[in-house]
Amino acid sequence: MILALTIGVLVAGGTYLLLQRSLVRIAFGVGVLSHAVNLFLLTSGVPAYRGEPLANRMDPATAADPLPQAFVLTAIVITLAVTVILLALAVVGRNDDTMRMPESGEERDR
Amino acid sequence: MNAAWLPLVVALPLLASALTAVAPWRVVRLVLLLGTPLATAVVGVWLIGIHRETPVFATNVGGFPVGIAIPFVSDTLSAVLLAVTGIATFVVLLFALRTGEDRLRFFPALVLMLIAGVNGAFLTGDIFNLFVFVEVMLLPSYALLAMSGTWRRLGVGRLFLVVNLVTSSVFLVGIALLYAAAGTVNLAALVGRGDDPKVAFGAAVVLFALVVKAGAVPVHGWLPRAYPATSATVMALFGSLHSKVALVAVYRITAVVFAENPVLLPAVVGLVVLSVIVGAWSSIGENTMRRILSFQIVSSNGHILIAVALLSLAGYRGGLLYLVHSVLTLGALVLASGAVEQTYGTGHLVRLADLLRREKALAWIVGLALISLVGFPPSAGFIGKAALVVASAAATPWVAAVIIGSVIVASILSLVAMQRLWHDVFWGPKMTVYRSRLPAAVRSDESKDDLVPLPDSVRIPTLDLVPAGLMLVLSLAMFFGAGPTWDIATRAAQGLVDLGPYVEAVRGR
Repeated sequence: MILALTIGVLVAGGTYLLLQRSLVRIAFGVGVLSHAVNLFLLTSGVPAYRGEPLANRMDPATAADPLPQAFVLTAIVITLAVTVILLALAVVGRNDDTMRMPESGEERDR
Repeated sequence: MNAAWLPLVVALPLLASALTAVAPWRVVRLVLLLGTPLATAVVGVWLIGIHRETPVFATNVGGFPVGIAIPFVSDTLSAVLLAVTGIATFVVLLFALRTGEDRLRFFPALVLMLIAGVNGAFLTGDIFNLFVFVEVMLLPSYALLAMSGTWRRLGVGRLFLVVNLVTSSVFLVGIALLYAAAGTVNLAALVGRGDDPKVAFGAAVVLFALVVKAGAVPVHGWLPRAYPATSATVMALFGSLHSKVALVAVYRITAVVFAENPVLLPAVVGLVVLSVIVGAWSSIGENTMRRILSFQIVSSNGHILIAVALLSLAGYRGGLLYLVHSVLTLGALVLASGAVEQTYGTGHLVRLADLLRREKALAWIVGLALISLVGFPPSAGFIGKAALVVASAAATPWVAAVIIGSVIVASILSLVAMQRLWHDVFWGPKMTVYRSRLPAAVRSDESKDDLVPLPDSVRIPTLDLVPAGLMLVLSLAMFFGAGPTWDIATRAAQGLVDLGPYVEAVRGR
């Protein structure tokens, strides 16, 4: 229940931030949304606390499911990379807005 | 052929990407940049030959036990796509040499990383791994999109990026649902599990995310805005790789999870009808060559999705033929418009006119490609469209009527759009002004919007037209070599319908 509520709150907050105009807020929104998704991925294993999934040492009946954890780990790395690109794009646009043509060094519309 | 070599198809482009990022010699960068897609194509053709005898082979990367390991699977479908995307990428990169984009810092490294992601997405047999490779494909794309093109790319780059990020989140949600319901995301273990509504729902969420990434109406909005704002090279690259990777993944997942279960039929038919018609209709109203083509990409995505509505051998065969046609024909057209922009400085229909008299070779290329896009013989488009319509005719009557009807309507709409493009660009009064590429200091006059009188000597350099011409020749070859291509497409479709060899190869005897 706590997990479901947390995911709900994170998705709501992420969606709100995504709808903002500023790209920095969108970057935050993507971060929040990806946290929600990561929690959601974790729930697809067993959400309760379980032992470390070490083969040979732990009883599989009490060990956690390692695959969702591996998924989350991968997803976190990808989100990190993407956030960097988002922030870079936020710097490239002038005044956080690209509705008008920047004044220097850009190619005209063709 | 030892299947354990398969991961090299991904690892070597990644290694090449790293090398080009640090290599200080242009020759090395060029050789790696052009050699990698060519090598991919050669491997693809070679694998097509091998799969004549062994339909599928697989390797579990890292030697983990079956079920936990990430499998790399090669069958005729993936081999065909490796070959086609490899050749298409090579030709597009030839155009990049002409525009000088290959000299941009990190351009070769980013393109090679893109190739690695594309190859991985075709070969992987695991849905989460597919997600990873799609991200590997998209991350360099974000940078490529922001690299070249007009200033508008910065704004649409944000759109492209945010749409793809949110879609990736949806993709992950689908994977979580699928894993929770089925206990695995290994394609070979998901065969026929679509009868369980929970698994079907998870798979449907994954498919939805892939359809957004491919760009089909009503979730296409980002595509016609993002693609025309980049350079022609990047648009041709994205157009022939991105949506095709997503659509092939849709084929694979639908074939595995749903087999012939028609639970998604109404949704898919809706997508097909909307994409095919709205894409063609919207392309009538656009005002630059590449914007018209971007809506035609949406329309062709709709055509390719027809196979997912039919779920039959003939359907997949038609869809695959259409997919190859769309890579080659739209690639030729985008590269031809790129060549026009390169010389005349614009792709606006109102600023171009009378090119038929100036540019004979261009007129031939564009004319034949437009014919192919509409679907008249002699062209690949005719084969693709005919195969799809014949396959649709075998479906349930209402599905057949709706799909064939919308394909016909879309063809007529495309014909109107293409006539408009042809009329505005190749006919009309003599062109008097153009936008020169020369910097203002070199030019004699100082007009504000840098439109200058067009000298009679201005012509598109022949080498600029070679890439577009190559694409068109391949497209024509597909028509005249219809026999062999048809056989290969049949074998590829067979692998989607008859999953026995696939499962056996992945899970062992």
